[in-house]
Amino acid sequence: MKRVKSSLWSILESVVAGILGLAVAGLILKAWGYSPTAAYVALVRASFTDLYGFAGALANATPLILTAITFAIGARAGLFNIGAEGQLYMGALAAIAASLFRLPAGIHLIVALVFAAVAGVLWSLVPAILRATRGVSEVISTIMFNWIGHFLALFLVANVLVDPYRGEKTISAALTSRFPILIRGTDLSYGIFLSVAFALFVYFLLWHTVVGYEMRAAGANPDAARYGGVQSRRVVVLVFALGGIAAGLAGATQSLGRPPTYAVYSGLPQIANLGFDGIGVAMIGRNHPLGIIAAAIFYGGLQAGARLMQMTAGVPLEMVRVVQGVIVLALALPELLRIFRGLGRRLWRPRSLGEGGEG
Amino acid sequence: MADFLLKAERIVKVYPDGTVALKGVDFEVRPGEIHGLLGENGAGKTTLTKILSGLLPATSGRILTPEGPLKLRSPRDALQRGIGMVHQHFALVDTFTALENIALGTGTEPGPGLRQRVEGLMERSGLKVPLDLPVEELSVGERQRVEILKVLSREVKVLILDEPTSVLTPVETDELFSLLRRLKADGVGIVFITHKLREVLEVTDRVTVLRGGEVVGEVRTRDTSAEELARMMVGEGVVVGRRRPLELATELPIEERRVEETGGREPALVVEGLRVLGEGGREAVRDLSFELYPGEILGIAGVEGNGQTELVEAICGLRRAEAGSVRLRGREVLGRSPVELYRLGLAHVPEDRWKYGLILSFTVAENSILGIQRTPRFKGPLAVLRWGAVARHARELIRRFSIQTPGLDAPVRSLSGGNQQKLIVGRELSKEPEVIVAAQPTRGLDIGAAEYIRELLLKMRDEGKAILLISADLDEVLELSDRVAFMYEGTFTAVARPQEIDRQKAGLYMGGIRAGEGR
Repeated sequence: MKRVKSSLWSILESVVAGILGLAVAGLILKAWGYSPTAAYVALVRASFTDLYGFAGALANATPLILTAITFAIGARAGLFNIGAEGQLYMGALAAIAASLFRLPAGIHLIVALVFAAVAGVLWSLVPAILRATRGVSEVISTIMFNWIGHFLALFLVANVLVDPYRGEKTISAALTSRFPILIRGTDLSYGIFLSVAFALFVYFLLWHTVVGYEMRAAGANPDAARYGGVQSRRVVVLVFALGGIAAGLAGATQSLGRPPTYAVYSGLPQIANLGFDGIGVAMIGRNHPLGIIAAAIFYGGLQAGARLMQMTAGVPLEMVRVVQGVIVLALALPELLRIFRGLGRRLWRPRSLGEGGEG
Repeated sequence: MADFLLKAERIVKVYPDGTVALKGVDFEVRPGEIHGLLGENGAGKTTLTKILSGLLPATSGRILTPEGPLKLRSPRDALQRGIGMVHQHFALVDTFTALENIALGTGTEPGPGLRQRVEGLMERSGLKVPLDLPVEELSVGERQRVEILKVLSREVKVLILDEPTSVLTPVETDELFSLLRRLKADGVGIVFITHKLREVLEVTDRVTVLRGGEVVGEVRTRDTSAEELARMMVGEGVVVGRRRPLELATELPIEERRVEETGGREPALVVEGLRVLGEGGREAVRDLSFELYPGEILGIAGVEGNGQTELVEAICGLRRAEAGSVRLRGREVLGRSPVELYRLGLAHVPEDRWKYGLILSFTVAENSILGIQRTPRFKGPLAVLRWGAVARHARELIRRFSIQTPGLDAPVRSLSGGNQQKLIVGRELSKEPEVIVAAQPTRGLDIGAAEYIRELLLKMRDEGKAILLISADLDEVLELSDRVAFMYEGTFTAVARPQEIDRQKAGLYMGGIRAGEGR
């Protein structure tokens, strides 16, 4: 009962934050002489009332759910894993690399997904091991690996997986390894089911298994976790590996599931920032897998609606970005505050019981 | 010219939670004296000095200097009025040099001007510190000297030192004492907080003894003795062993009695030659040996910070030991993990229930299985958590230990301290242990809850469990224990039956005077 009550409370908090965000963004639009109502109507019409628009929102949400999970599962275990970006690049390219083999349809897709997941895990492993054995801050190491991944991806696109006829892109994914399209004429593929299923799996893992219990314990109170026999190293490696799988699969949903090209372009335009956007989505979704599904669809809708907002409400792209930023920030605020409060508590926590009142 | 530097009159301090820490305390520091402030944990020493140094406001009462009454709003305020305090936990920036640390907060550059001044100060006081090394490369003793220099460089007239020797080696302690004597000769008034009788007698001129938030005496050091101070510190009137139902063979010396009473039984826990390092690499437990038998409570009394925490953590698998052995029911267990220890029959009620005992953001049900989450009772196939079994277990604990909670799914944070502790104790007893290590099990609890936990420990003893009770509450230890050990600087100064201990002896042992040692 308590849990239901507290999640209702979170939802209410988010709704209030969202309304505040819309209001502030509306004021900004107004100040620059655009009509907030027209802009918001266009936004909602585009992504949430129209089937094709909604399909676009879901298509955008597909990778974001997974990269948000990467961050959230880390956050639940007390780790600040921001390496989804690099892991996603590796996953996207590994999935393309599977097209170098000839396999029957279906099996080929599965093999490609395994490739992507393994690549994501490999890319998360070094930060994980550094953290588990040497205590190296995962924030620093994952940022470094994002950059290494970025340039390695550029190299692979241009030199290894390059399309012999078009130098600006990789070979296209084999027909047998692509995600089937769910709604004809849209970008929405069956990848959305993979994302949602993975989120549900993580939910089950965190709240219905001993492994997840130990992960959450390690995140909520590392000392008590140690007292309770949780092996923190194992938790670190496991959390990073799961995060790597999620981010790798997120990459695959893009290179195998986004028409019309089914390839990765030089400069990584379609996949860049999906890992970072996932952090925002995770915060909006309170690092909860179910919250993340909702947050990712909302976030995807904002992106999908941007075009119509430009076209029908005449709001320039830059202003649309500002509006999106304000709304996302407002929604992420409660979780951000929680993180800062948590940091504050860690730094200024009363040293122990009893010391306060005695002399 | 007044004959005092700082005077506190009728200071009362009530904390927001209702704890009355000081009940009208008078205290005075004169120029050129070292004034000892002596008392047990919770006597109000730290609270008083925090008020004198501007860290805490007093509820009522006033602070006077020769210039008139003083209103202190912050430590900076106090420093400007010439009152400086060196805390037990240093406030230094590790990566800064000593000089930079001294400059910090003064608004002066750590440049040649300051250096000249500090060097002059070092010359006069004999307080030598390498000024250009980062503080992290300095020893603990040197860091303390940096702290003292930092305070002295603000030209203080009153220097307050909170348990300054607790982190020092004997040689460093001697150096500190000669420094204090030099400062005294310069006319500085020094407040020296301690619980160590020997040091009080060695270095102070006057002693104020606090007990339970009240001044029980102010004496000139040369007119007093360790016995008198010990008596003042712990008070009269002892309740000893009133709950021990068995008649004891008190005629025999302790070791022979042991054999008699245990009837040749094997000890449940044997600690031998244990050495454990504390924070900062200081040796916290020094070559400690003892045995714990089934059906007894061995109480460890002593002022906190004398190695009790490290001893418990080493026994319970939370801290590495440097040397020695711990045998649990015949098996060597040093270095084993908490879970392995649980399987061998050890339960641990940790001293700091918010650090180790509970995960505050978790629910009551979730906390009820911490440490036993991997037993088949709760862990199904594929590591699936059996929530049904967890809920039954939690409900059972709530019922058996009368834990007041809004429900199984309430975050444990929302429970009162007493109910949190009952949950921990209940969970640990549900492990069906043979050996129970209970560290400060009643600290911070209301009387009802504390009494409940004490009864529970006695019941466990009567059921034949071996219980190691560590408590800073002397009355509690004397009341519950079958044997009492007094811990001081990492070793036992005495092990005795509570019946053989009077207040004065207890005070002496806790203050570092060994059993059988004349003064």
